[in-house]
Amino acid sequence: MRPNFLLILLLLPLVCLTACNDTCRETRTYRQYTPVTFTAEQIRNGVKQDAPRALVNPGKIYTKDGYLLINEIKEGIHLIDNRDPTNPRPVAFIHIPGNGDMAIRNNILYVDSYMDLVALDISSLTDIKEVNRVQNVFPNGQFDGGWWSFNQSTSLLSDQRARYVTETVETNCEDGMVTRQNSCPNCMFLDFANRSSSAAPAPNTNGVGGSMARFTLYDNYLYTVGQQDMQLFDIRTPAEPRQGERINLGWGIETVFPYKDKLFIGSTTGMMIYDNTNPAKPVRMSVFQHARVCDPVVVHDNIAYVTLRSGTNCGGNLNQLDVVDIKDLYNPKLLKSYPMQNPHGLGVDFPNLFICEGQSGLKSLDARNALDVKQLEHMSGMNAYDVIPMGTSAGSKHLLMIGKDGLYQYDYTNPQQLRLLSKIAVNRPF
Amino acid sequence: MKPFNKNGWPALLLLLYFCPAPDAVAQEPGFKPTFMNMTEVGLSLGRVTSGNQWAQTTQNRTSFTAQTFNGIRLRPRLAVGGTVGIDWYLASLLMPVSAGLRYDIAVQSKKGVGLFFSLDAGYGFTWLHRDLPNYRTSGGLYVSPGVGLRLGQPNRGNFVLSFSYKRQESAVSKPLDNFYVRRDENRVYNRITFRMGIAF
Repeated sequence: MRPNFLLILLLLPLVCLTACNDTCRETRTYRQYTPVTFTAEQIRNGVKQDAPRALVNPGKIYTKDGYLLINEIKEGIHLIDNRDPTNPRPVAFIHIPGNGDMAIRNNILYVDSYMDLVALDISSLTDIKEVNRVQNVFPNGQFDGGWWSFNQSTSLLSDQRARYVTETVETNCEDGMVTRQNSCPNCMFLDFANRSSSAAPAPNTNGVGGSMARFTLYDNYLYTVGQQDMQLFDIRTPAEPRQGERINLGWGIETVFPYKDKLFIGSTTGMMIYDNTNPAKPVRMSVFQHARVCDPVVVHDNIAYVTLRSGTNCGGNLNQLDVVDIKDLYNPKLLKSYPMQNPHGLGVDFPNLFICEGQSGLKSLDARNALDVKQLEHMSGMNAYDVIPMGTSAGSKHLLMIGKDGLYQYDYTNPQQLRLLSKIAVNRPF
Repeated sequence: MKPFNKNGWPALLLLLYFCPAPDAVAQEPGFKPTFMNMTEVGLSLGRVTSGNQWAQTTQNRTSFTAQTFNGIRLRPRLAVGGTVGIDWYLASLLMPVSAGLRYDIAVQSKKGVGLFFSLDAGYGFTWLHRDLPNYRTSGGLYVSPGVGLRLGQPNRGNFVLSFSYKRQESAVSKPLDNFYVRRDENRVYNRITFRMGIAF
């Protein structure tokens, strides 16, 4: 043995001595809440039209007459001229403190502003103005996990401002061995096709909401769900919303959507069906047990498409699409299940079905035959979260898809090959 | 805390410098390249310190490792080929696929003990790993230099004992909730492995 090889033997332990520790570092970003207090005046004087600005923390989307409204959570609404989907042009930003939801009838935009319902006249886009306000109708709510509440006697609103904090910690390299029971990241999004326009009588024109709506229009009423109750507004005269019935629903209410003459209300504990034959006073029919709340659902005629996703605290360890026969609302029947990767929101424009697969992208499916749903295309490379097929307009079929990195618009005239029309980027703070 | 930037890489380079040089002139006449296999199983040992500045814990880590090297003996002392292994880390199951070499530092006498050097470098894949819901494990670079003993007669099936350093990178993205909006973990496994097996 030559001496320089002995040297090697001496060097090798040197490597090991400096080395034999596993190092695992987790970089994580979380929300930190700071309490803030506003007076009612501060909030009520805060509604104004601003110049367009970039999307930072987009919430719900709403569309009417070729215009796209994107909520900036708690800040206001981005108004985008989307008549040419290949070139969406920002028109304005409507600053509305504490805004999370919206609905449009004719030229009146209804929005929430913390505790108030505000009616805005949007007939002139260069001069959007507040025309009416119903005060103190929403006692509390939450944005991004931070709760706010309004104290009527002191006229003070307590809110929590979210700040994003990034930190790096050393971990023991073992995370991923036990499923943690998360709070449900997707529970806010119960994806019923919220096509209220078809339900409204002529000649009123309504917009089309996204699948996470807490506001919906039916007949002469605007239905808004809060955390525990449903507040109706009589909008016979759209510019003058009047406070109507308030119906207690129980805790954890998340979404509302009208389907035929029924109202479906999604809560964290189940799905309630209200009979809406008298739109002024919906009556509770039953609790629809089939769909758990984390499971986005879309409905076409008598078929409901439900996606089940694992990894939430809603239980279940399945990633699949369920096709359910709901001819009898009291007795839904499972027709067939299809395996999926990690389904989030979905949208249906029969026979086309679109499923967001989270980090795995977007899937276009053919749902013509409920017992044989076929995959037509799978697009990856983006984070798909929620999708709204807009149907046919001007000879092409138009799809809105929101992901973490932006709002994508597609043409699905050929559902086997979706064509990207445009993308509005999101500048996330993290 | 970054071993390879400080002492690791120079040491490795020194190894590479020393190894092939003395052999360059040692080409035996009439040598024909032959197939070589070295299959080993063993344990990889490490430690991990975790926690924040107020509460830290240190734990030992022992995990099972197996690998097989298949290559061509290009020179009497040097074999070059590929190595495929499996590493059962606590939270992930990685499959390093790497280029490898085996170099006989000292060839054993008739009934003696030989000494060899080994080097594997490649990428650890997560093909066999199954993530829990909403976890996403991805593999990473892998390097493992080491030394070992060959027991048995030269040019026959040998019993092998080896000792090596192993560095395996990996990354995990973790499930999010209402509180966390991003959770990404970078993992570097720094291990000493003790293995035994056969070589022919």
